[in-house]
Amino acid sequence: MPVLSKEEIEKFYEFCKKSINTEVASYLEACVRCGICAEACLFYMGVNVSGRIDPSLTPAYKADLLREIYKENYTLFGKLKKLLGFGVRISPEDLREQVKLVFYTCTNCDRCTKACPMGIDTPKLVSIVRGALTHAGLTPKDLANATNLSIEKGSPLGVDIPTFLQRLEFISEEYEVEVPINKKPSDYLYLPSSIELMKFPSSVAAAVKVLNRTGINWTMSTVAHEATNFGLFAQSKEVTREMLRRVLEGAKELGVSYIITPECGHAYQSMRFIAPNIFPKDWTFEVLNIVEFIDRMIDKGRISIKRKVLKERTTLHDSCQIGRRGGVLRESRRILKMLAEDFQDSVLIPEHNICCGGGGGVLVIGEADQYRQKAFISKMTLFDKVEAKTVVCYCANCMLALTKGNQELGRDYRFVSIVELVAEAMEGEE
Amino acid sequence: MSDVAFYDFVREPFLKLALWVFFLGIAYRFFRVLFLGIPHDYAKPKGNPYYMAVKKIVIKPTMGWTFREIFARRAINFIGGFMFHIGFIGLTFLVPAHALLWREITGLPIPMMPNIVSDMLAYSAFGSLLVLTVHRALNPVLKLLTGKDEYFANLLIGLILFTGLLATKWAGSGYIWILSIHIFLADLLIIYIPFSRLSHFVYYFLSVGFMGWNAGKRGVSF
Repeated sequence: MPVLSKEEIEKFYEFCKKSINTEVASYLEACVRCGICAEACLFYMGVNVSGRIDPSLTPAYKADLLREIYKENYTLFGKLKKLLGFGVRISPEDLREQVKLVFYTCTNCDRCTKACPMGIDTPKLVSIVRGALTHAGLTPKDLANATNLSIEKGSPLGVDIPTFLQRLEFISEEYEVEVPINKKPSDYLYLPSSIELMKFPSSVAAAVKVLNRTGINWTMSTVAHEATNFGLFAQSKEVTREMLRRVLEGAKELGVSYIITPECGHAYQSMRFIAPNIFPKDWTFEVLNIVEFIDRMIDKGRISIKRKVLKERTTLHDSCQIGRRGGVLRESRRILKMLAEDFQDSVLIPEHNICCGGGGGVLVIGEADQYRQKAFISKMTLFDKVEAKTVVCYCANCMLALTKGNQELGRDYRFVSIVELVAEAMEGEE
Repeated sequence: MSDVAFYDFVREPFLKLALWVFFLGIAYRFFRVLFLGIPHDYAKPKGNPYYMAVKKIVIKPTMGWTFREIFARRAINFIGGFMFHIGFIGLTFLVPAHALLWREITGLPIPMMPNIVSDMLAYSAFGSLLVLTVHRALNPVLKLLTGKDEYFANLLIGLILFTGLLATKWAGSGYIWILSIHIFLADLLIIYIPFSRLSHFVYYFLSVGFMGWNAGKRGVSF
């Protein structure tokens, strides 16, 4: 990390100070220091598997610096302390620790919120600290590079328009599917993520097959060609806005009413819950995740699952941003029950599922690898609990993180996309 | 100062002062946070945020975790915390001597609990407070999260419970002094609450309300 100047620390401080509102202050004030959130966190659980307890991974601790800044600016006692010269002093080491706490060991998965007796939304607080670090120029290098690439080329993996078209041509030929591009007028716009395009093209092909089978009037766009939004990972308002502006421009140009987001957690989160607040007048689209869309199409009878394509014991991995933070939890289970002969849910309540460990940009940060690998151990306990080797996912980033963890730890789980399974199950005899 | 004069002081003017500080302090803390404001959310909710906010405020203590999960992880926190809160709230309002005081102050017909129940609650609250404090000092996570505020509050509450037990059971000839010290410490606690994390009960309604509102917005069950 570069040497930090006083101005950078000041920028961090000011960003935190300006981010306080009633909701944030309620969370900061309500914490009773019970530490129950620790055991809900996959990083805390994963690191502690080895017997070495690292209490700094407790979610409540991650907001402590923000809490101190809040107190000295918004409470009588804090203001008095500051006046008397006992105010918050932030050292470069403090900010380095914050980078570890919010960028390396938090995926904003929201599991801690569900365990907290006071209902504190720690991801919201972590996002503020992330934003403040980014504002001070302290985003981890790997994440900053990918974020910059998404602005320069249109995608964090460098997928520009020519590459996008090449990949679609490849998918079209390889999987024998017809892909409509920039078709006007269309009702639905489907956006893939560059992870799918580059690493899991079969998932894109499967989505195309499903969309074509439904008979809806849909298209892809060269303007709105990237669903992933790395602005959310870095908590950069400018990047988030710019990536969403491109989607808005593409969608408006095509005159669509619906946007279908792919198997990508942050894509759904950004378009479903954030975009309407950035473009309150223009963002008039109904945003559906592909799983939500498939469930709706099955319900309407526009596609049908003709056979169970998984014979072995199967479990489900939930994407936190689509599931726990997005509300698409029952749909995936309904679909999987139609696809698998032996589906065993690894959690009693869907909201309890454990994150893949690579969300929130953790997957692209090299320095976070050691934490991500240990977090994968927390995740594995759920697969082993139900003795499942086949794990169905609905987020490409999760698939990538889980596959990486699987290889790094020498395990033999198989991760499959739910959309691919649907595409396969639509074919053949009932 | 004689024991009776001290008793009169802590029982009348000092208690009144404490209650004024408490109510003004709590109101200030609540409204200060409330008036910070919140940006309008234009995203169409998937469920009913208002219903979920109210629902969570009412049933949040039951939470969405199974008892097995809770006990496997933090049995001391949950059992100790539950026993302490039940004991502390019950003792504060429903012990015969306290109920009479609240009746006098509020004019409401506050019910009284039998002495045997008061005794049981007092011992369980005192015991659980001791266990929770030791747990706080030894558990690595709690040790990191705990500041002077928590230890001071626990000490103050512990002393109040102890002097309360002492006054009702073993005071003997020093009864008025012990009772007066008990009331004095309780006055101090009432004053201290708005300045400490003990005021968390005020923010429960806000933070859990927001949590429920977000659950309703996202269409999740909790």
